[in-house]
Amino acid sequence: MTLTLRARLAVIATVVSGLLIAGLSIVSYNVLARWLDEDVTARLTELTDGLHGYLRFTGGAPTVEYNANDTDQASFVHEATRYYQIYDSETGDLLVQSPDMAPLGLSLTKGEVALLLASTLPADITTPYGRLRVINSPLASPGGQAYLLQVGVSLRSLDASLGRYRDLLLLLTPLSLVLAGAASWWLSRFALEPLTRVAVAARGIDVSTLERRLPTRGVSDELEAVTRAFNDTLGRLEQSIGEMRQFSTALAHELRTPLAALRGEIELALRATRDGGLQRSLGSQIEDIDRLTRLIDHVLTLARAESGQIPLTFTAVDLGELAASLVDQLEPVAHARSIDMQCERTASVVARGDAGWLERLLLNLLDNAMKFTPEGGRVVVRVCRTADRARVDVADTGIGMAPDVVAHVFERFYQADPSRSAGSDGAGLGLSLVKWIVDRHHGSIVVDSRPDHGSTFTVTLPAFTDQS
Amino acid sequence: MRILVIEDDGKVASFIQTGLEQEGYAVDVLHHGNTAGEQARVVDYDAVVLDLMLPGRSGFQVLRDIRSRKPSLPVIMLTAKNSLDERVAGLDAGADDYMAKPFALAELSARLRALLRRGTPRESVLRVADLEMDTIRRTVRRAGTTIDLKPKEYSLLEFLMRNSDRPLTRSLIIEHVWDIHFDSISNVVEVHINSLRNKIDRGFPIQLIHTVRGVGYMLTDSAP
Repeated sequence: MTLTLRARLAVIATVVSGLLIAGLSIVSYNVLARWLDEDVTARLTELTDGLHGYLRFTGGAPTVEYNANDTDQASFVHEATRYYQIYDSETGDLLVQSPDMAPLGLSLTKGEVALLLASTLPADITTPYGRLRVINSPLASPGGQAYLLQVGVSLRSLDASLGRYRDLLLLLTPLSLVLAGAASWWLSRFALEPLTRVAVAARGIDVSTLERRLPTRGVSDELEAVTRAFNDTLGRLEQSIGEMRQFSTALAHELRTPLAALRGEIELALRATRDGGLQRSLGSQIEDIDRLTRLIDHVLTLARAESGQIPLTFTAVDLGELAASLVDQLEPVAHARSIDMQCERTASVVARGDAGWLERLLLNLLDNAMKFTPEGGRVVVRVCRTADRARVDVADTGIGMAPDVVAHVFERFYQADPSRSAGSDGAGLGLSLVKWIVDRHHGSIVVDSRPDHGSTFTVTLPAFTDQS
Repeated sequence: MRILVIEDDGKVASFIQTGLEQEGYAVDVLHHGNTAGEQARVVDYDAVVLDLMLPGRSGFQVLRDIRSRKPSLPVIMLTAKNSLDERVAGLDAGADDYMAKPFALAELSARLRALLRRGTPRESVLRVADLEMDTIRRTVRRAGTTIDLKPKEYSLLEFLMRNSDRPLTRSLIIEHVWDIHFDSISNVVEVHINSLRNKIDRGFPIQLIHTVRGVGYMLTDSAP
């Protein structure tokens, strides 16, 4: 699948902005998480260190003592003692545990107490009530008794904040991706619009209007470079087509003049002789010259047609009338070969086209149909209108063509079976001309053919409307 | 009748001269167009055969030279091109007729005859031997028997009769009898000649419609 340049530009811009947005989101989330984490650890260290100062060892378990009237002290101690517990280092017995700590199921065994005495780094513990960050620190009473103090802070609000921030990012990232996509699509259109204008102008130039040039704007940007390059190409093309045209004109002259002399001399010789054998021989030479002349005609007509030297005059052409008149005039020819030739047409089918060339088109198709239809066969021309198209079918009950023949049938000099048409004037150019005529009328031609069942050539042309 | 032929190719000019002289014309040949206008003024020609592609002055310029001195002198243009638009261009430029090379001598002389005959009234009853055509009633009789013809057969016979004793080429016949440019695609002339033969000649001792090899057809009661 190939995308338009605009689509590709938009996709690339969207992917790049998407990656940027996603990257920034991930970085900002991690930085924030880390900052918050560091704050919590710092606060926990502060709380632990501070709590040391409020512990009193008056025999038995250590107690917290502070001046309850001092708001600062009270709030500090309240925060520090929310989650804390003290163990006897020797026995591993739990001595003090704050009420909030108790339901968390974090009581330590003797082994754990011994282990934790060696590790004073903060550690996170997952509890049914959210994560808890704890710091262990050894204590010693003035009496030499050793304890383990564990102080914790809940990470619940931190986790909740981070979670909400993450949700926000997950929502914003796709949203901004959509917006970036839309903006890229719009911007790429804006960026490519001058190029589209160049393309439209270029499309208006064909082989018959090669003298035209794309408008330049007198600025030096990338687009102007493209326009100039295109105009230069047109210039070179115009020159070589001009040379080709001169060549075909010269060729016509160079070929026809000696043929004319030859034909004239033979005709004079024919007039002078009474010898029947010689007359036949000379007559046959003249027929050969005439055939050669027609071949040159066809080749040059096609060459001129394809190099855009034949101007067409578009008017309203009644295809039904044209087909009926052709069939009327060709019917005696068909009849002489025992071919039944009919024209079927609906009310009025008017195409937009060049009357002379459309006549040539139908004539070539009818001639082709007759050529390949045996005696007793049938050739039918159907003219009808479909929506905004005029349609002509030329159907025969002739020898038909195999699919590999159909594929080549519009090629110049192509003959399905050279031995068959050796005696005819066809030379395989009639259908090439048909194709050219159809193309110049912006029409289409399709062939439906089966060996031994016949062929149907279907031509569709733009119908004539008041606007056309 | 004196004809001026302006043609640069020696061989072509030569056979035109020989062919037309055989038919009783006096023929002068010029190989370039520089003095054509002057020549046409000095000599009283009945028609001019002019090649379009000449060295020096082009056929169109020569045609203007001639027209400026003899506005009504019939001119047939010869060209090495053959296509509808160029034909129209030639006629637009003021030529009376237009022929593409190579052409049949018979066709050239037929066209010349037509141009020279221009302005003379057309006969309304045509006769060749015992064949008679009344162009007002549109009836055809041979040896007193009325013959039914289809419209195309009638037009074809009229053309043959108006040019009796002269060979006519297929392209000349098509141009005068049909309104479609069949060129050489279909043997439409042959088919109509055959059906005409069946109606005109069958059962009569003298055949009137003859095939002229290398040229076309001729209606005559004197066998060639």
